[in-house]
Amino acid sequence: MRIPGQRVRRRLIAAALAVAALIAVLATQRHTGIARDEVPYMTSGAKYARWWIDFASLRDGTTSERRITDTFGGAHPTDNNREHPPLMKTLFGLSRILFCDVLGWASELTASRLPTAVLHAAAVAMIFGLGAQLWGSAAGLFAALLFLLMPRALFHAGLATFDAPMVALWLATLLAYHRSLASRWWSIGLAVAFGLALATKHNALMLPGVILPHYAWVAWRRSRVAVGDPAADPSSAAARPGRLVRLRGFVRALVRIQPFLVPALAVGGPLVLIAVWPWLWFDTVQHVRDWISFHTHHVHYNFEYLGENYNHPPFPWHVALVTTLFTVPVATLAAAVVGAAHTAARVRRGTAVDPDRAPVLLMALSAAVAMGVFLIPTTPIFGAEKHWAPAMPTFCLLAGAGIISAGDRVWRALVMRRWIPVTGGFARPAGAIAVGLLVASAALSETVAAQPYPLSSYNALAGGAPGGADLGMNRQFWGVAARGALPYLDEHVAPASGQPPVPVYTHDASPAWGLYRRLGLLRAGLPDAGGEERGVQRSRAALVIHERHFARHDIMIWREYGTVQPAFVLTFQGVPLVSVYLRPPPLRQDVGH
Amino acid sequence: MIAAPALFLALVSFWEMVVVSRVRVRAPSERDWQALSAAVRAAHRPGDLIVFAPGWIDPLGRHYLGDLIPLEMAGRMDAARYPVIWEVSERGARARETADLEPDRSQDFGRLTLRHYRQRAAVVVTDFAAALPGAEVSGRSRGAPSVLLEEVGFEPHRCVVVVPAPDQTVRIRYPAVELGAELVGHVGLADVFTRRDVRDPARLVVSIDGRTVADLTVGVDDGWVRFRALTTPHAGAVVEIAATAIGPRARDRRVCFAAEARR
Repeated sequence: MRIPGQRVRRRLIAAALAVAALIAVLATQRHTGIARDEVPYMTSGAKYARWWIDFASLRDGTTSERRITDTFGGAHPTDNNREHPPLMKTLFGLSRILFCDVLGWASELTASRLPTAVLHAAAVAMIFGLGAQLWGSAAGLFAALLFLLMPRALFHAGLATFDAPMVALWLATLLAYHRSLASRWWSIGLAVAFGLALATKHNALMLPGVILPHYAWVAWRRSRVAVGDPAADPSSAAARPGRLVRLRGFVRALVRIQPFLVPALAVGGPLVLIAVWPWLWFDTVQHVRDWISFHTHHVHYNFEYLGENYNHPPFPWHVALVTTLFTVPVATLAAAVVGAAHTAARVRRGTAVDPDRAPVLLMALSAAVAMGVFLIPTTPIFGAEKHWAPAMPTFCLLAGAGIISAGDRVWRALVMRRWIPVTGGFARPAGAIAVGLLVASAALSETVAAQPYPLSSYNALAGGAPGGADLGMNRQFWGVAARGALPYLDEHVAPASGQPPVPVYTHDASPAWGLYRRLGLLRAGLPDAGGEERGVQRSRAALVIHERHFARHDIMIWREYGTVQPAFVLTFQGVPLVSVYLRPPPLRQDVGH
Repeated sequence: MIAAPALFLALVSFWEMVVVSRVRVRAPSERDWQALSAAVRAAHRPGDLIVFAPGWIDPLGRHYLGDLIPLEMAGRMDAARYPVIWEVSERGARARETADLEPDRSQDFGRLTLRHYRQRAAVVVTDFAAALPGAEVSGRSRGAPSVLLEEVGFEPHRCVVVVPAPDQTVRIRYPAVELGAELVGHVGLADVFTRRDVRDPARLVVSIDGRTVADLTVGVDDGWVRFRALTTPHAGAVVEIAATAIGPRARDRRVCFAAEARR
């Protein structure tokens, strides 16, 4: 029986964690550069938001096919960013209108990033809730803290992009499904959460791959218990029922446990997706096909991994595993290993948590599916850890379990040696708290050290950013680090008043350039020179954001400027991130980084 | 043993905190770079090659010493023609160019090490990139062959770039070449994006006075591939270098080659 006080206490802790997470994300994102993809999402999001405001205001013509197409669709695959579902973009736009344009509480950038931060905070709270339910409040608390202290997850939580929201909505879908195993009404929650996940990013399409096998397992187990199969219920003294009886029991369980599961996934979720995506309100099948086809025919990104530049399949099967090994704090991974061993031992002993609904199996399947797709060598190369980020809550939950189990074993060791009494009051949680604080401190040290360039940061196992560079791991992506070069440009390159502008070749930072200017992070007189050879030819200063395949930008600049010497190199832990070249004769030649 | 998991987690956590705290401290400082730069400048002579190891410190190295690295040197075919090599090293790394050499001087500058190497430099009697204007070109190609600084295998290389039409061969005939004891060259496909989008290989055949001395097929992931042929020193040889885009789909094969006849 649940103690009411405990429920309230847990809700308060969850709320406090969410607030702390929100503050942490909003504080760290202030120093984060603009990711290339944020700009089109924000631009489209503003259009979508205005459309919804017109829709809510019952403005004439809002629902016309032409207006919807002009806002959400278009003839080409990337028109109005139609290749991605609209939920988060719409929220970015609404948040920007409310908190920047109307209230003036935040900049355009921070206001647009706020919805992601809120969803990340919600994910932290959900992880606490699930961890607390499985292994107690302390396990939930440490699981949530360790999730918050994942350098790359924290980074993505501060961007107006889809990856952190996807983690939150993926988790919300699984939690809703888990609850739906006990209450049919929760199938509505499942449909809504799944629909919102679908409306966030296409990797939500993998969620049935988690839910359906889990449901089959739950049904199989319950059917075995129902027919008294000793394989599922060791306490049963009955003889093993025949195959036909078992099969009938299984089918019955499939139908009875949650009869609305398939409708929720196959009908409810898609209806929610259609409801929030007006582009699907007509030519639905064709538009869905256009959306999916963009991703199944997605261009392969260039991605450096273990010293090789990959831009064509087959991609090594182990990239998701090794990248996780080098980007998640080592102590968190170690705690997750301890937690996994502890959980496996409990399963072997037949003392698994809530075996009827198998939540641990659900989370294990979640990680396996989220990462498993990237173990297939023909999966298009999108690059980076963000694509399998929905696996991270599982690692953190296991880490929470590992901390509690390790702490508990310390207590037992002390009791066995009679150094403390069995009824030692605070002694039992003290061990777990001590272990948890150590693990969390290690994760905190990684997270702090990773700022403000978590995409270039690698964990202690890799040897930090220099170790990552030695290993030939991807240096960065999305051009975020360009922000670190802006003070140099402002101070040393920007023309004095009345002087002609200095066009800057910005390559990967090009989409963000105007926004940097609007945010006041870049002085006037430094316009974007344009792309490729012509941009370099027009430029008087040039950036190279270092990724292996961006060596071509260095070479284009060398050819045009006649020098290989950058005037400024932005570094992180001694690793070059951005070079700034000045067309000779130099405007001013400064040394420093 | 019962407390082993806790001990394990405690040790891992402590170790991680120590490693993380040391990463930033172990990076070379501005002062290290400036002291090393001053030392190089004091002894450097024009034509001395400067290399950086590991390769990822190259932008920083060029920031401090880039004025001593002309474009030709940055886009070199290989290091054989340089009698002196300065190697700027961090974390004990060695550059590919010095792999078979022993330093005659080495000095530490904080976290950086400067090593000085001498080698018997190759004497180039014919540089086939420089000799391109005197060559005869035949075959269907996109534009005429030209000497450019290109990206091949994610490195800069000054080379003859020829783009044969799909399934076609472009022949570059050098009519009166002075040869030495060997002909050494490299070839690769330039431009990362055309390498990604078109996966078909190219072929390079080198012949001297009608006799094939090198025949290579280079794929999109092969990088900068070396070839070498022993030759009889004489003047007036006819050298033909034929580049083929293999297959009807092999568009945009930017075949990039450099070659030297060495004494």
